[in-house]
Amino acid sequence: MIAEERFFEHFMDPVDGVLCLPAGSDAAAIERQALPHGLRFPLLLDRTSPLCEQVASSPFAPASSRYGPYCDNITGMNWELPDGRRVRVGERVVKSTTGYDLLRFLLASGSRYGRALDYVLRLRPACDTSRVFSLRGAGSLLRSAIPAILASSWIHWLDSVDFVAENGKPSFLRIAVHCPAGESNAYEDFLTRIAAGAALLLETSPPDILDGCPDLVVKTTPEFVADTALSLAKHPGAKCVALSACGVVHVFLPDSGAIAKIVRPIESALHAMGGHWQSRHVSPGPSQLEASWISTLRKEWNLP
Amino acid sequence: MTPPTSAVVAALHRAAPGSRVMTSPAQMAGYESDGLGYKSFRPDLVVIPSDADELARVVRVLHEARVPICLRGAGTSLSGGPVAAQGGAIVHTSRLRAIREISQDGLWCEVESGVNLRQLDEALQPSGLCYPPDPSSGPVCTIGGNVASNAGGAHCFRYGVTSNYVLGLEVVLLDGSAHRFGGPAGGNGPWLEDWKRLMIGSEGTLGAFTRFWLRLTPRPEKVWTFRATYPDLQSTERAIHGLVRHPAFPVAIELMDPRAVALVETSSMAVGLPKGHFLIVTEIDGPAALVDLRVESVAEVLRSAGSADVLFSDKAEDRETLFKARKATGGLLGQVSPDFLVQDAVIPKRALANLLQLIYDEADRAGIPAVTVMHAGDGNLHPNFLFDSRIPEEVEKVEEISKRLMQRVVEVGGALSGEHGIGNDKSSYMPMVFGPESMRLQLAIPQIFNPQHQFNPMKVFADRRFAA
Repeated sequence: MIAEERFFEHFMDPVDGVLCLPAGSDAAAIERQALPHGLRFPLLLDRTSPLCEQVASSPFAPASSRYGPYCDNITGMNWELPDGRRVRVGERVVKSTTGYDLLRFLLASGSRYGRALDYVLRLRPACDTSRVFSLRGAGSLLRSAIPAILASSWIHWLDSVDFVAENGKPSFLRIAVHCPAGESNAYEDFLTRIAAGAALLLETSPPDILDGCPDLVVKTTPEFVADTALSLAKHPGAKCVALSACGVVHVFLPDSGAIAKIVRPIESALHAMGGHWQSRHVSPGPSQLEASWISTLRKEWNLP
Repeated sequence: MTPPTSAVVAALHRAAPGSRVMTSPAQMAGYESDGLGYKSFRPDLVVIPSDADELARVVRVLHEARVPICLRGAGTSLSGGPVAAQGGAIVHTSRLRAIREISQDGLWCEVESGVNLRQLDEALQPSGLCYPPDPSSGPVCTIGGNVASNAGGAHCFRYGVTSNYVLGLEVVLLDGSAHRFGGPAGGNGPWLEDWKRLMIGSEGTLGAFTRFWLRLTPRPEKVWTFRATYPDLQSTERAIHGLVRHPAFPVAIELMDPRAVALVETSSMAVGLPKGHFLIVTEIDGPAALVDLRVESVAEVLRSAGSADVLFSDKAEDRETLFKARKATGGLLGQVSPDFLVQDAVIPKRALANLLQLIYDEADRAGIPAVTVMHAGDGNLHPNFLFDSRIPEEVEKVEEISKRLMQRVVEVGGALSGEHGIGNDKSSYMPMVFGPESMRLQLAIPQIFNPQHQFNPMKVFADRRFAA
C-alpha cells in the first residue's frame, strides 16, 4: 500500500541542527530562527536575495570551501512541479540512501522542472568570532599560495579561500575564518606563516565575503581556478571570485549579454575536464541524446 | 525469462574474448548472496570482463539476449543489492582495478570501479591526501559498490558520504554505450542536467559503472580519539547531543551498546573495553594548533553528560585499537550466530534513546538477540538481529521486527537507509515513504536508462521486475 503524500512542515530542530522554512526566506529570516540556538546557515551569497534565488544562481557559496555546495547543505525540500503538483524530496536527516537522489538532481536543474517551496537546511554551530584576511602581492606569488593552503589540513576549517580578480585592479586572496574567540590567534598564526612563505602581505579586511548572486558560474578544478578567474577578469568591468577549494569561479558582469561571448573560448576545455558553465541569465541547450532522456523524464512525470 | 544458453556463452566469448565466463554450480555458489547472507539467489552465469571495453561488450550481448544483468564488486553489500534476484548474469568488476591518475594539485583521482578502498588509501599515502568515506568493509569493498550504494562509514559525520566525493563517473548503458557524467572538475561536462546525481546511490539499476573521478582531501595533521562510558540510554543521548553541536565538529561519533561491547570483550578481539556500559567513541582532527586547543572542551562535553570514565589519546595505536574493536562487531556476529541481519536507518537524534529502547523491547519480546552499534553523530542506527535462517519462525520474527522498526523510523521523520541502500531487503518498505506522486517521480528514473528493468531487477522498488 502506498502512503499518503508526505510534506515537510516548517520546524526548527536545534538538536539535529536542521531548519525547515520557505525557500524564499532571506538571510535575516534564517538567522532569526537559527541564531537563538547558537546555529547558523553559512552558505549565503548575499543578505537580501531569497535563498531560492541564491541557490538558482550558483551551486556554491564562499563558505562551500568548508561546508560543500548547497546540495550538501539542503537535506530536503517541498517541490512544486510546473503544473502545481507538490512532492517532498529528500529528508530532514542528513544521511539517506533511499531511492534515486532527486533532491540533488532538482537542485541542479534550475526551474526546468518546477520550483522549491520549502527547504530543510543543515545548520552549523555559530561561533563568536568572524574574521576576514587578505593576502596581497604579486600575482604569481598569490597563485602559489593557493595550493599550499588547499594541501593543508587547515582547509577544513577555513570558511572560504577566494582568489579575487577584478578587471584593472590587483588580485588578492580573501580568507574567511569563523571560530571560537580562543582559536582566532591560531588561525592568524597559520596565515602569517603562509604569507611569509610566499612573500605576501597579510592584512585584516572588513568581515564581509558576500559578493551577491553571480551572473556566470564556471566549474573547473582547483588547480585551474585562479588562471580561469584571471582570464575571465580580462572582460571589461568583470569581477571574478574564485572559490579555490571548490574549483568554482563566480563572475560578476556589467552586461549579462556578453556571457555567450565570454564562455565560448573556454567551453570545450571545461567540458573535457567534466566542468561546465551556468548562468541565471542564459542556459545552454541539451544534445540530441540528452533531449531524448529529458523528454522521457517529462513524459513520465506527466509534465507538458 | 530467457535462460542463459550455450549460445549466450558463446556470444560472450566472441564479443569479449578476454573475459572469464563461468556457469558451473560450484562457481555460482560464491555469488549467491552478499552480506545479507540468509537471502540467496543463484545466478545462471558469472562474467568477469578484463577491462571497461569488454564490460561494455558483455552488457550489449546480455542485453540483446534478454538476460537479467547484475553488477557486483566485492559483494559486501548488506542489503541484498548485488545478487541475481531474478537469475541471469552477474558481471563481476574485480579486474577493473587500475588507479589511473592521482592529481595532487587538483585534489582528485581517477579510478576504475573495481578498486578497493584499502588499495586506494595505500596509493594516496605518499601524496598526503585521502578519500574519506570508510565503510567497515573498507579493506575489501570496491569503489563501484560504494558509489552504487552511496556508502558511508564511521567518519562521515564531518567528512560526508560517497556522494560528497564523486566528481564524475563513466557508466555503460544497456546498449553498451559508455557515457561520462562529470569528471575531474565535478560539473556536468557537456550535459545540461547533472545526471551523475541520479547514478550515485542507484544500486546498479541504471547502468554499469566502469570508472570514477573522486575528490580528495588533505589527511589530518593530528587526531584525538575519545572514549567515554555511560550507564543508560538517556545519558548516552545527552552526550551525543552535546557532541554534534560542539564547534570542534567531531569527525566521528560512534556508539556501541553493552551487548556489542560484551561481544568484543569475550572474543579474541578483546581490547579491554569496560563492560556493562554504553560506549561512545569520538574523534576530532585537524591542524595540531587547533585540535590541541579543543581537547579539554570535548572531554568536558562527555563528562557533563554523565560519564565518569572519559579517556582520550592522540596516539595512533590507541585510535586503531578502538576502531578495530568497533569495526570487528560485524565479523564477530558471524561467529556467534548462524545468521544476522544488520539494519540501517537514520533517525533524528532526539529520538535516539526511544528507538534503541524499541529495538531492545521488540527483540527481547521475540526472543531474538539484538546488538547495536551505530554512527550516532548521523543518527544512523545499525541494530544487528541474531537468528537462524533454518528456523522459519525466527526469520519471520526478524522480518517483523525490522518492519516495525522501519515504520517507527518513518513516523519520527527518519530515512529507511543511511548508507547500505535498499537492495531487495527493504524494497517492500519504499511505499511507506513515497506517496503516489513521489513514487511516480522515482519510478521515472529507470524509465530513462533501463525501462525494462534488465539491470538489477527487483531491487530498490519491489515491482521492478524484468519481463523478457
